[in-house]
Amino acid sequence: MPSEESQTPARADEFSRKDAVIKGVVAGIGMSLPLLLPRKARAANVPPSSPHLNPAANTSWEGWDNPRLDVNDGWNEWQTILNPNHLPIYHDQFQRIDQAHPKEHWVMVIDLRKCVGCQSCVVACKSENNVPLGVYRTWVDVYQTGETVPDPNGDIVVNGSRYRQEVRLMNVPKLCNHCDNPPCVNICPVMATYKREDGIVLVDPDLCIGCGTCVNACPYDARFLNPVSHTADKCTFCVERVDEGLLPACVTTCVGRARVFGNANDPNSEVALLLAQYPHVVRHPDFGTDPQVFYIGMSGDIATVDDPEIQHMVFTYTSNADSTVAVR
Amino acid sequence: MPLQTGSLLGLEHVYWGILIVIYPYLSGLVAGSFIVGALSKVFGAKQFEPLAKLAAIVTLALLLIAALAPLADARQPSRFLELYTRPHVPYAPMGLFPLIWTVYVLLALAETYFIFRQDNIYLADRAAGWRAVWHRWLTFGWRDVSPRAQRREHAILVVLAAFGILLAFAFHGYIGFIFGSLKARHLWSNPLMMPLFIVSAIVSGIALMILAYVTVVGGLVSRQAVDTGLVARLMNLLMWTIFVDLFLDLVDFLNAGVQAYTTGPTYAGFHAIFMGGPLTFMYWGLQLGFLTAAMILTFFPMVRRSRLGASITSLLVLVSVYAMRYDTVIGGQLQPKVSQGLVQYSPPWLGRDSVQTVVGVFAIAILLIALQLLLLPWDQTWIEYWTRHSR
Repeated sequence: MPSEESQTPARADEFSRKDAVIKGVVAGIGMSLPLLLPRKARAANVPPSSPHLNPAANTSWEGWDNPRLDVNDGWNEWQTILNPNHLPIYHDQFQRIDQAHPKEHWVMVIDLRKCVGCQSCVVACKSENNVPLGVYRTWVDVYQTGETVPDPNGDIVVNGSRYRQEVRLMNVPKLCNHCDNPPCVNICPVMATYKREDGIVLVDPDLCIGCGTCVNACPYDARFLNPVSHTADKCTFCVERVDEGLLPACVTTCVGRARVFGNANDPNSEVALLLAQYPHVVRHPDFGTDPQVFYIGMSGDIATVDDPEIQHMVFTYTSNADSTVAVR
Repeated sequence: MPLQTGSLLGLEHVYWGILIVIYPYLSGLVAGSFIVGALSKVFGAKQFEPLAKLAAIVTLALLLIAALAPLADARQPSRFLELYTRPHVPYAPMGLFPLIWTVYVLLALAETYFIFRQDNIYLADRAAGWRAVWHRWLTFGWRDVSPRAQRREHAILVVLAAFGILLAFAFHGYIGFIFGSLKARHLWSNPLMMPLFIVSAIVSGIALMILAYVTVVGGLVSRQAVDTGLVARLMNLLMWTIFVDLFLDLVDFLNAGVQAYTTGPTYAGFHAIFMGGPLTFMYWGLQLGFLTAAMILTFFPMVRRSRLGASITSLLVLVSVYAMRYDTVIGGQLQPKVSQGLVQYSPPWLGRDSVQTVVGVFAIAILLIALQLLLLPWDQTWIEYWTRHSR
């Protein structure tokens, strides 16, 4: 009978309460020791030739699930990664940034005359930032402007008439504009997103509640809800590289040097010289957001309104949009 | 780790799904039912007195549920305390949510306490068993029913109701402003958003109270207990508020649907979505058609005084206001921001942000209303029954 056995426990199994408390405290301290000790960044102890890194041997390897990531190497300490120098941050009243006369104001100038539409910046961004499948921090849309006109010597034959295409392809790299008046930062209910004094707009993934207001508030659709972290996510200008004196990954990889990154407050920087010498536009100036990504050689039609009668989007990443239904 | 992208493929999405549709819907019902319940207190309209207790029950239940909808929509709902510890006021419209909602819940609880206090004392004295204990506990020790105490209680209720009406406007007005403040969405960025939401909230609240009065009193007490004169007065009120709502809808249409009067993207979006687009029937048929039909029904004295007629009119209004929320929340997001064409959306049946979740939220609301009907002295015949049959 089990009840009889439970009533007569074996004497050998008994131990004193004091022993149990001491053992428990020792075990608890032992287990929490890695958390109590100061943590330093260190590489995980995985040899580069590990089968974990071989996609054939490790089928669960999907990019962001990198087995070489060590929990204790500081990769998720966002306060340190996003703002190592503790620059002042702003959640509203962005005019105070100008009044503070910051040393640096990071901007990007994109020379569309040099963009060949190779999409390598998209790949570099994905690789650098572990951007999950299906979402993008930067992307390159391809527009076709112009029209098909009748021409007796044209190479297009429709119903016996000949036509010629007077069109021009435009590759338009798009990313977060790091606006000087960012509506996405203003409307964040928990101040999880902010603008650094050097102009970079960032999201703290430890604070974001994922309500999606900033995603809806961005006129450029530069924000998205990250399907892995379940928080708002966006281009950071590769802030961890910029803070170390490097260029953003998309700028480093750009084959035609169409993307130029630099400090607009330095009059001798390449971006300042480009902006001083070439006409440039920003996307959707009508929203009053004061974007800090400037385009050289972009048609004003593309900058202001996506109207299929003026220009046709021949390639885009918007796979959920049904382009058979014309907006106008 | 399996990849959980859900519907997150492509750039343009409906980021706020069907739960954000029912968020303003529920909060509108809260605001409207509170205002109906406060009519007898603030404006001295004694004919609405029988509704006050039922309105308090419905308001409290829906108010608690109204916070669940955006919580279920947020991707990190466990971080909701950030809304209390670091709200971005006054810059973020949604940063006001914890303040207004918490004050409103406290106010609704206080109103529930004072409005049921005398009946709780009555039951504490006369009932037996757990019911006596429960209702004695609900009085919180204040068991004074002298005329002076009653006058004081009435004064407190009037102050609570007046402050509550202000809060009802704030609660629903700020939700309208959450949409109105997003200039990136052409169909949302509209100064009409706040009054439109408030008026449709009152419309839906009156309709809900008619429906709740007819079904709860008619179904749980007796059909004869339903005061058709009271229903007719509510229908009269409904007629005038629908008239204001339709007027605001007309102004909204003139400012979004006519090419000469509005900006290019606003007209383009409105035209593509509501005039031949995916939400054409939702807008013209359900939102405007049902509301117009309901207003015409309120013209007939026969319908006003009939329990069935009033219920059908209220159902039409409730469907119409739901369609208005859907057209606003989903319709505004169908217009792409950076590409061409329209974003496609159909609410999923199961899973996160789906019809299943909505059904669950409403089920909790009905559960809360049922619990309150069983545990609060809302009707005189039920009170008599409880005094006789409790042990």
